[in-house]
Amino acid sequence: MYKYILRRLLLAVPVLLLSSLIVFGLMRVMPGDALIALMGESGNVGEKELAKLRKDLGLDKPYHEQYLIWLWQMVSFNPGHSIFTNEPIPEALKKAIPVTLELAALAMVLGLLIAVPIGVLSATRQDHASDYVGRFVAVFGLSVPDFWFGTLVITFAAIWFQWIPPIGYASFWEDPLTNLQQFLLPAAVLGFRLSAATMRMTRSTVLEVLREDYVRTAWAKGLAGRMVVYKHALKNALIPVVTIVGGQLGVLLAGTVVVETIFALPGMGRLTVEAILYRDYPIVQTNVMLVAATLVTLNLLVDLTYAWLDPRIRYR
Amino acid sequence: MASPRLNRRDFIRSSAAGVAVVAGGGFSGRAFAQAAPHPDWIAAKMPGKRGGALTRASAWDPPVMDPRLTQSVGLFQFAGLVGSRMVRYAFPDEVTGPGDMSLKGDLAESWQASPDGRTWTFKLRKGVKWQNVPPLNGRELTAADIKYCYEQYAKEGVQTFTFQAIEAMETPDRHTLRIHLKAANHLFVQNLAEPIAVIFSKEVLEEDGDLKKRMIGTGPFILKEHTRKVRIVLQRNPDYFDAGRPYVDQYTILSTPDAATRLAAFRTGQSDLIWLASPSEVETVRKTNPQVQVHAYHNTLTPFGVALAQDRPPFNDVRVRRAISMAIDRPKQLSTVFEGSGILGWGVPYIYYQEAAPTAKDLGPWWEFKPAEAKKLLTEAGHGKGFETTLFYYEYFPQMSSQVQLVQQDLKRNLNIDVKITKLDYTSYYGRYVEGKWDGMSWGFQSGHAIGLDERTYHYMHSKSTKNFFRVNDAVIDDLTTKLHQAPAASDQRALAKRIVDRELDQVLRMWMPYSNGFIVAQPHVRNHASAALRRTDGYGSPTIARVWNDK
Repeated sequence: MYKYILRRLLLAVPVLLLSSLIVFGLMRVMPGDALIALMGESGNVGEKELAKLRKDLGLDKPYHEQYLIWLWQMVSFNPGHSIFTNEPIPEALKKAIPVTLELAALAMVLGLLIAVPIGVLSATRQDHASDYVGRFVAVFGLSVPDFWFGTLVITFAAIWFQWIPPIGYASFWEDPLTNLQQFLLPAAVLGFRLSAATMRMTRSTVLEVLREDYVRTAWAKGLAGRMVVYKHALKNALIPVVTIVGGQLGVLLAGTVVVETIFALPGMGRLTVEAILYRDYPIVQTNVMLVAATLVTLNLLVDLTYAWLDPRIRYR
Repeated sequence: MASPRLNRRDFIRSSAAGVAVVAGGGFSGRAFAQAAPHPDWIAAKMPGKRGGALTRASAWDPPVMDPRLTQSVGLFQFAGLVGSRMVRYAFPDEVTGPGDMSLKGDLAESWQASPDGRTWTFKLRKGVKWQNVPPLNGRELTAADIKYCYEQYAKEGVQTFTFQAIEAMETPDRHTLRIHLKAANHLFVQNLAEPIAVIFSKEVLEEDGDLKKRMIGTGPFILKEHTRKVRIVLQRNPDYFDAGRPYVDQYTILSTPDAATRLAAFRTGQSDLIWLASPSEVETVRKTNPQVQVHAYHNTLTPFGVALAQDRPPFNDVRVRRAISMAIDRPKQLSTVFEGSGILGWGVPYIYYQEAAPTAKDLGPWWEFKPAEAKKLLTEAGHGKGFETTLFYYEYFPQMSSQVQLVQQDLKRNLNIDVKITKLDYTSYYGRYVEGKWDGMSWGFQSGHAIGLDERTYHYMHSKSTKNFFRVNDAVIDDLTTKLHQAPAASDQRALAKRIVDRELDQVLRMWMPYSNGFIVAQPHVRNHASAALRRTDGYGSPTIARVWNDK
């Protein structure tokens, strides 16, 4: 098991290196740079001054040199400063990460709370009205983009209930009530989308498992329906569900970009998008690497979860 | 003059019926309102009510807090409330009409130019205090502070072009600043009234090495909190030199990048003010919030137009420029894209050269939609079969894409010009546009912040200016804008401004496109709110907030 984990961690190194090269390269290929974004509109800045500022920020160095400097900064856990605000990147992340983590965690919980019961209900009542409703909800969730659903939710909340979540982020530790008001709606929007795929997967795997011999045996023994479904069928149906949930983490993180913008939450999504627009290279590069590292770690955790769910699986 | 003793409801009712209403007497300053479905200003009973708070959900975040480094509206939606300027334009409740661009003292009590326009002497108000925040701790502002600040603006950042016009400065006493210019400029004082020319403190710059972390000024509000992408909280400055102002104790700007969320925030009362682009948006809001106050905004210029690479063929031929301009159906853009609420498009604020907004006729022959004549002219220029070109743009607002596509259709249909459109992100667009080496066309802009005639003419059109984004290179324009600097009399300045505009329109040096007028919508309890020409309260005209009160 430990060997397996070590091997996976070592394999993560080339993955992260490749990611770093891609993000570094893409940022440099994009036209314009941070100084143009910052000062361009004014047109007041001469070429000489721009050159001086580029030199101050190290943007005049050859790309390979810039890359190596950045790589060293990342390895030494000192990703530098934002070009725009001069704020140390760890400070910016310290503010943004809790927001996205809270949003993602709540969305995940809400998503699973919606998906698993409806998926199981759909499977156990196949081709009944509740199954059709569940399937419709799942297809709807898969089809509607976050930006559309989020906009609809906030617009109709304002029109019908004269209420929307309070704008102006408050942390959970400072003001838990306001914080929960601010996060429930965006988490529901994000969770709804997340639940759609999970719901469909739960339905099909539970359906499959319900036809297994051991489930028939359980029925034959006279076990209660709930016991058969939740203890015998569901646990065995969960492996593909866990896989799909793990795979959706990337979708979840991408979804936070849109949802954070609509609900005015200052998380990683907004930080990254703004940094891309303003070509704030250090922020974009650090954020992408952080997301890459998170996804690699989560995929490993998902794989390890299989062994817990199915004792027959052993890692060597 | 009619009796001014109207309450708000009467006023709105009469304005809605299209009746011009006149205010005065017990009401604050201005004595007119627009005879339109919505007034541009609603009279408020003086004196204003102290206390309470105002909040606005804002699309913008300051990219950086240092006024030397940016002219972004994200910063100047509040920087003008924290800092003061040497002089300022009259506030909406002081002006006599939309064309009133008179200057008032902000930090200066009086000012005078030498007859040759090269030396400007400013007498400062006495007893103006910096905000009572360390390291300033409420010390008195002196002429040396302003001298230092202007020196820094000249040294680096986005205002160097303006402040490098200064040859030397002297402070004969603590409250006098004398500025010597390198060349005559009778409009120089306008540059010191621009919203971006805020006075910052020496102590903060020297202690921090930059102005990115703190903002301390002499303005009506103290910056209490700035949390990026969350909120900006401004607290009343009790030591503000304009005694009694500001009225509200706190003004909060909430970072709300999504337009639907800003609208929802306004509908639910979380935001007191909102900018809406079209009449249909206004009507949608009035359905759910019938009590809101709607102020019509009147643009005096358009910031966007088709910029041509006019330093190279085929656009260096004036016939080609005129043909293209005549092939574009501007009234159609105005009626379809902007629902009829907007202007046809011109670049220099009309208030500097005539009383009323230009009509289609005023803009001259090349600005009318005449496809047959356009075709003839293009044939004369040797391009009868049309040609291929490119156009790149950044979508500043959703309607812009529709405009770009309409132009593409018009040019194909009427002149057989194939325009390949490229939509870029903000920074890519800026990078390419500002560099000024592109071929073909761009959907160009002129900066949004500028109020003064100097900035709108010399800075944007003189061939040597770094802000000449439309790549105007016209000896007549160079000569006229230079003469404008040398003209001390207001009447001469107006006449010269008109000649500059006539030349620009005749040579189609900047091909302006229609632009929306827009509306500022306020909650029923907001009083004395308006946006004067070129000074939207939610943007560069933010200092007006010091004169607004909450009548809850």
